[in-house]
Amino acid sequence: MTGFVVAAIVMLAAVVPCGIVVCRGKIMEAVVAYEVISSIAIMVLILLAQGFQRPALFELPVLLAILLLGSGLVFVRVLERWL
Amino acid sequence: MIQEVAADVALGLAVAIVLASSAGVLVMRGAYRKLHFVTPAALVAPVLVVLAVFIRSGLSENTGESLVALVFLLVAGPYLTHATVRAIRAHDQASERDPEQAP
Repeated sequence: MTGFVVAAIVMLAAVVPCGIVVCRGKIMEAVVAYEVISSIAIMVLILLAQGFQRPALFELPVLLAILLLGSGLVFVRVLERWL
Repeated sequence: MIQEVAADVALGLAVAIVLASSAGVLVMRGAYRKLHFVTPAALVAPVLVVLAVFIRSGLSENTGESLVALVFLLVAGPYLTHATVRAIRAHDQASERDPEQAP
């Protein structure tokens, strides 16, 4: 198990506190926690692809990073206008 | 050997930043205060992760694709933070007008 895989596992553990905020916090606090979780997910995908030496898997974090901008902006704008 | 140590140090720093940000999001009260902990996890830690990949792999396909993901993260972070602040402010104003409708 390389350092990259270990780092990915520890980063996944960091999702738990944010998940608690998503489940139990107010709606805008949950949005903030969602943004942190998205960023952590991108890093975990990069770390796992590097850790397992699978170059093809590097496309997943790229796609997720692209979608993070669009989906995050749409999500926040909807909350701003209709909630 | 030195490369491995440097990559592990960068990874350790990234993990520490992510853990601290996650704890901050959990502990702080209010969305504005929690928002301060998004930037370290969304901008600083990915830079360290890509740096670790670069140290370990050199100029390779892995590093290139990691850099592309990092660029999108660097662009998306400030936009998302700004949009989130606007949404929180609008939400607070709506709550002040009609407190019963606030979730």
